[in-house]
Amino acid sequence: MSSITLTSSDGIEMSVDRTTAERSVLIKNMLDDLGDSGDAVPLPNVNEAVLKKVIEWCEHHKNDPPSASDDDDNRRKTTDIDEWDQKFMQVDQEMLFEIILAANYLDIKALLDVGCKTVANMIKGKSPEEIRKTFNIQNDFTPEEEDQIRRENEWAEDR
Amino acid sequence: MVQSLIHLPDEILSSILCHSSPQSCSAIEQTHTRFRSVTNEPLLWRRYCLTHYKFWSDYHEIRWKSTCPVHSVDWKALFVSRDQVDHSVTRILDGILGSQTGRIEGFRSVVEFGYDAKDTLLRHASVSSGEDVLARRWACLHGFGIFCPQFVTSCADLVILSPREKALAIASWLEANGLTGIDPGREYHALDHNFLGMALQNSEHNSLPLVSAVIYCFVARGIGLNAQPCGFPFHVHVIVTPQPGWNMDGDPVGAEKQGEPLYVDPFRGARETLASALRSQLAFLGMSPLDQLTILGESSPSAVALRCGRNILNSIRLETQHPETPTTSVDVVSAKYAAIWSVMLLSDDSRPADLRHYLPRLMELFAADFPSDLFLVEKYIVPLFRGMYEHENILESLHVMRTVDEIPRQVRRRSGGNTNIRYAVGQVFCHRRYSYTAIITGWDSECGAGEQWMMRMGVDRLEAGRYQSFYHVLVEDRSVRYVAEENIEPILLKFSELPNSLTAIAGKYFKCWDEKNLMFVSNMRDEYPDD
Repeated sequence: MSSITLTSSDGIEMSVDRTTAERSVLIKNMLDDLGDSGDAVPLPNVNEAVLKKVIEWCEHHKNDPPSASDDDDNRRKTTDIDEWDQKFMQVDQEMLFEIILAANYLDIKALLDVGCKTVANMIKGKSPEEIRKTFNIQNDFTPEEEDQIRRENEWAEDR
Repeated sequence: MVQSLIHLPDEILSSILCHSSPQSCSAIEQTHTRFRSVTNEPLLWRRYCLTHYKFWSDYHEIRWKSTCPVHSVDWKALFVSRDQVDHSVTRILDGILGSQTGRIEGFRSVVEFGYDAKDTLLRHASVSSGEDVLARRWACLHGFGIFCPQFVTSCADLVILSPREKALAIASWLEANGLTGIDPGREYHALDHNFLGMALQNSEHNSLPLVSAVIYCFVARGIGLNAQPCGFPFHVHVIVTPQPGWNMDGDPVGAEKQGEPLYVDPFRGARETLASALRSQLAFLGMSPLDQLTILGESSPSAVALRCGRNILNSIRLETQHPETPTTSVDVVSAKYAAIWSVMLLSDDSRPADLRHYLPRLMELFAADFPSDLFLVEKYIVPLFRGMYEHENILESLHVMRTVDEIPRQVRRRSGGNTNIRYAVGQVFCHRRYSYTAIITGWDSECGAGEQWMMRMGVDRLEAGRYQSFYHVLVEDRSVRYVAEENIEPILLKFSELPNSLTAIAGKYFKCWDEKNLMFVSNMRDEYPDD
């Protein structure tokens, strides 16, 4: 089994099994372009800590069948996340967002999906005030704006 | 460095919102100005509309809208309006289930929403738990007559063939796939064979000639043939007409001329039926050439629907004559009721005798099983009888029903003279003498029926006579009866052991099943608060 080398944004080199790394469409395309030169693949947008997490995820999912259905609707219908992924995503918020950004950059659709679902689940059933608290968001509306936007969204309140 | 949700790029926020509910999306919008544009993306709201709501009233023109440029439609406003309908329907439905008073008005307001109400009703109908699960399912399925038709859409490659070859290829393709006709050994008139939905959904795909013809026409039109049902007596055919100026073999016949049509009988398979043969059959029946011409022409959709309604009534009549035939999965009472409706609405009202023939049957079913349709009878049936002596009678009975529906039920407590009542509303029992299974839906402390009824039923010959408790009961055959206490033998069965026919209609009076006491839970507390 061949292995390749990845370089994180902070210059750390990591050796990874090729099939694992190829869960990332970006890396797969770069490897196809580079050929078997054995050069390290530079990833200037991902630091070591995040890259380690991403590789851990790819390692666990390396034998997954290529996503069961590319149909967006099917994929997005459910916010169910399998148990291992749920545990994997139990990280602090900063790391969670970093993983999502890395998945987006590295083009790992399934991981991006799990990340977005995790955030969607954190939002589920919460009021605007509770969401602000959860994500540490500062309210930047003027009182007038806030009043107007609340009226626009009255339909969605519990009745 | 990303510290918070507000620092994520739009594309990722969009993806998160796709996984969220519209309500969450609205909550996020209210937290920070950062989210205003991304939470108002028309593409997102179109997705919410199309994934949350399957059925739309025609006036929305939803199929046309979804092909328009996404910015040209206010998808968010559309979603909000559907959400409001959803809430209204839920509220009305809760009202219908919560009280026995004013139900007719409730049903009318829901029906006025048309298809916009269907998703909500289907959701309520599919609840599998909750304290009023039976009642909720009954109201949605029975009260609003929900059904889901389905179509087949696949077909072979037919581009290079002449119209005649295409027409016959479709017939043989349908035959080869068993999509038309009736398997040998099956009862031709079975009720199931009347329904397009059943013919398409069941694995055997058995259907009467009329339904086979409709399936054929659907497929044929899909590949550009002009195919219409032809209402030939006893056996519906399909008439395929070539394009003006051409014949069925694909040869030109002159610009002004119309080529000869082709007759097919998809029920019997891929054979052309010669027009001359059809004509000679009609002549044998003694029809004038002019009548023959009309019959061999295309039938209008309403003529086909009318014929379908008559077929259904015929099947039901034959099935009741031969009770040994296997029972159908179709709800016979609903089928009969629907068929009478279509026959009455579609019959030419120049033939009042036909209308008169069906009126008593319609009124009987309507009063017994579908009282919530009162406003429909008022709107569509009453005008048909204007100027006829039945007119006043119908209005009078509607008036009585409406009044009864609007009067709060007289409250009947288990105190005073009512302490002797032994069994409770919701008790399942077996009739000691006639051994049918039934559920108690109400009681009187002594026989409350008229003197004549008591004479006829021989109430005074009962052991305890007329001065014992009497019960209103719902029987497994859907009839409603009045039974003396001494004839009641309570039975304790599990829900799954009860006759299906009984559990299917129990939702009319009961909320759910009480697993512990093995009886139904009353939804008539406004009338019997102690039961």
